[in-house]
Amino acid sequence: MHKVEFDQLEETLFHEKLDNGLNVYILPKKGFSKTFATFTTKYGSIDNHFVPQGETEPIKVPDGIAHFLEHKMFEKEEGDVFQEFSKQGASANAFTSFTRTAYLFSATGEIDKNVKTLLDFVQSPYFTEKTVEKEKGIIAQEITMYDDQPDWRLYFGIIENLYENHPVKIDIAGTVESIQDITAEHLYTCYNTFYHPSNMVLFIVGNVDPDQMMKLVKEDQAQKTFEEPTEIKRIYPDEPKEVAIKERVLEMSVQKPKVFYGVKPEKLDLIGPDMLKHELAAQLAYELLFGRTSDFYHHAYENDWIDESYSFDYSLESGFGYALIGSDTHKPEILIKEIKHTLQNAIEKWPFGQEDLDRVRRKKIGFFLRALNSPEYIANQFTHYAFNEMNLFDVVPVLESLEVADLQNAFALVSHESQQSVFTIMPPAKDAQ
Amino acid sequence: MFETINIAKGVNVHVNETTQFKTINFSIKFKDRLTKEKASARSILANVLQHSNEVYPSHTALRMVLDDLYGTSLYIDSSKRGNEHVVTLNVETVNDQYLSEKGVLEKVLNLMYIVLFKPNFEHGLFKESIFVREKNAIVQRIESVFDEKTRYAQQRMMELALPNHPASITSNGTIEDVENVTNEQLVAEYKEMLTQNEIEIYAVGDVKPEMIASHIRDFFHFKDREKAIAAPPLELVKPAQSHVLEYEDMKQGKLHMAFFTPITFRDEKFPVMQLMNGVFGGYAHSKLFVNIREKESMAYYVSSSFASQFGLMFVLAGIDSKLEEKAVALILEQLEEVKKGNISDIELDQTKALLTNQLKEALDSARGQIDIYDQYMELTDSFEPEFMINRWKNVTKQDIAAVAQKLSLEMTYFLSGKEDEKDA
Repeated sequence: MHKVEFDQLEETLFHEKLDNGLNVYILPKKGFSKTFATFTTKYGSIDNHFVPQGETEPIKVPDGIAHFLEHKMFEKEEGDVFQEFSKQGASANAFTSFTRTAYLFSATGEIDKNVKTLLDFVQSPYFTEKTVEKEKGIIAQEITMYDDQPDWRLYFGIIENLYENHPVKIDIAGTVESIQDITAEHLYTCYNTFYHPSNMVLFIVGNVDPDQMMKLVKEDQAQKTFEEPTEIKRIYPDEPKEVAIKERVLEMSVQKPKVFYGVKPEKLDLIGPDMLKHELAAQLAYELLFGRTSDFYHHAYENDWIDESYSFDYSLESGFGYALIGSDTHKPEILIKEIKHTLQNAIEKWPFGQEDLDRVRRKKIGFFLRALNSPEYIANQFTHYAFNEMNLFDVVPVLESLEVADLQNAFALVSHESQQSVFTIMPPAKDAQ
Repeated sequence: MFETINIAKGVNVHVNETTQFKTINFSIKFKDRLTKEKASARSILANVLQHSNEVYPSHTALRMVLDDLYGTSLYIDSSKRGNEHVVTLNVETVNDQYLSEKGVLEKVLNLMYIVLFKPNFEHGLFKESIFVREKNAIVQRIESVFDEKTRYAQQRMMELALPNHPASITSNGTIEDVENVTNEQLVAEYKEMLTQNEIEIYAVGDVKPEMIASHIRDFFHFKDREKAIAAPPLELVKPAQSHVLEYEDMKQGKLHMAFFTPITFRDEKFPVMQLMNGVFGGYAHSKLFVNIREKESMAYYVSSSFASQFGLMFVLAGIDSKLEEKAVALILEQLEEVKKGNISDIELDQTKALLTNQLKEALDSARGQIDIYDQYMELTDSFEPEFMINRWKNVTKQDIAAVAQKLSLEMTYFLSGKEDEKDA
């Protein structure tokens, strides 16, 4: 077992890669009563075209299948796994993102039993045509619920604008139509391809003894048999540099317009330390341009072009990413024009110096330290970083190493006119009502 | 958990000295009675105070100093509990032992003083442009509820079921009342908040209770104040209508049901009612989840919740608009099971285990500690999780059935998608 100490943060991380390829991380947290564990596979909604385990030809699977599989993992021949966690005083849950499917629990007691339950249920698939059919009604209601949420529609609207071919543009849960095609056999194919321990990370944080917990996990995994790990062949389409759609409007039952302005990054093949440095540098650049201390924010807020719903963000994964700036607004045209100007001005003449960098860097370090109070944040973010060959605990040293030129270079990759797009949701026209 | 130091009549400092967190959290809670007018004015006030002040006269200047203090977060929110309206200044700052720079804590305490006591005044009033802008911000916040249809449906039901009752008054007030607030009234409200509200001040982190208390005593100068006259008990009045159907342009139907119960937070049966709600619809093992979602595949979300301050229980479900009647029948069928005491040992044990887990987990965050302590202060002056855990322990199925029998369904509200032309 490897032990890595992060002195300044007063955290110690224990890690071991087991014989079956599973990466296990344990972070003991003093003073906490709860333990939070996530068992995550590097498999999300974008992995819809791949060579199934043991075969040679690639297949395409119905949209929404990773999420469907996540739902079905909880049902077993002997009953519902939620029941078992409840008996052991644990709250269990799961989520599917573009790139990951995570199963998790939090509990303040019976941690050993709950860890066993987590490992057992994720490692024993049970799908029948009957249970698959039954789930379609539940997931259809989930999809319908999201369809009625303007903020979700806005988010997917801008992603569909930015990406021409990449499967990130497909809604994570699929559509009511696409899930009708899902069969138990599909689920087994996806499970066997992506749920091998070598494609997964177990992260346990909280009130645990690392030696005893690692032993428990190792013994559990040693008792189970797995195929030899093989390399997973995923196929992603070529994605043009430019955005797919420059501008689009959707009408929905909202009280005032909503705008999302998106920028697609030029370099989508970054990984590891380069990715971490670029992502943090671009985040700081966007913070300076669109954060709460920026000239843009000041003017936009005081002139009522944005309201309390205003947000901005930059995030990057392997193969896709986006900077997003948006708000509910009574003045969508002005807001769009101002965002465009702000980007254009920064492209023409970079406006920030050392003092600006120092300030937003301090802000970001503070945010990170605050986030380390949350076991959920640590487990989820660490796993996200690990799947992209980065280390969460490098965030502070990398932030400290950034220079003004790094921000400028990162911004140059996430700003070009041809990379920009805008999606707007408008209330129904008055005369239509 | 917390050490309490009284610094003036009606003003208490509560400190939990702990190394559990990498940050220090503060909350200063100003408590007043809840009316639409008060809620409206105090929401504007919260925004105006967090916008800027005499020392940092623009939003940008204030946010820059917070960034420089390692991204110290500072915001003022407006909330309600029972018949109280609460304005809270929330601050979280990094414990400077993790930083190369020291003295951050003193600067943060000084900034909290400035935010509360050095407002951005011009000729004795709040600066007009900021006053107007923040009034508008609250109006927009109230309007935005419409976009989230679950929140909107719940708010509609409450307005219809219990108009002008604290259960339906929202913490932001109403558009009309917000628009009617004058700058003079806001200044009066501000002065009343500082001099007459009951104040609870919380600190959680690696700090000494005496240090925090003496700092606040010496710099904030909070004067004695009378305890607010206890408001009369909140009576629930039977709604005029028992079933309301409304339409919006949306795909999913939103079913909301409101039940009255004589049991509130202060009742000795409060823990029993918490368990009843848990068994019925509080968790993934509950009767509603297992039967409506898993067996019938009718819903993605279906759950119940207990608003203990008012003696209300709600059931919420997202369903196909055509299935309202069926869903209501199935939900009431499950309630009937609870009333008959048809509860398994496992259901009861699971619910006790999860309530316990939830409470202990909430105490793993500084905000959770503050919220729970502040809430339970009324019942015990030295709250520990065992206070509730022991009360849940001995509850039986018969106890649960007995409280379920006292529930009365008072309103069913259905927000339906527009009638589909295809069906017509």
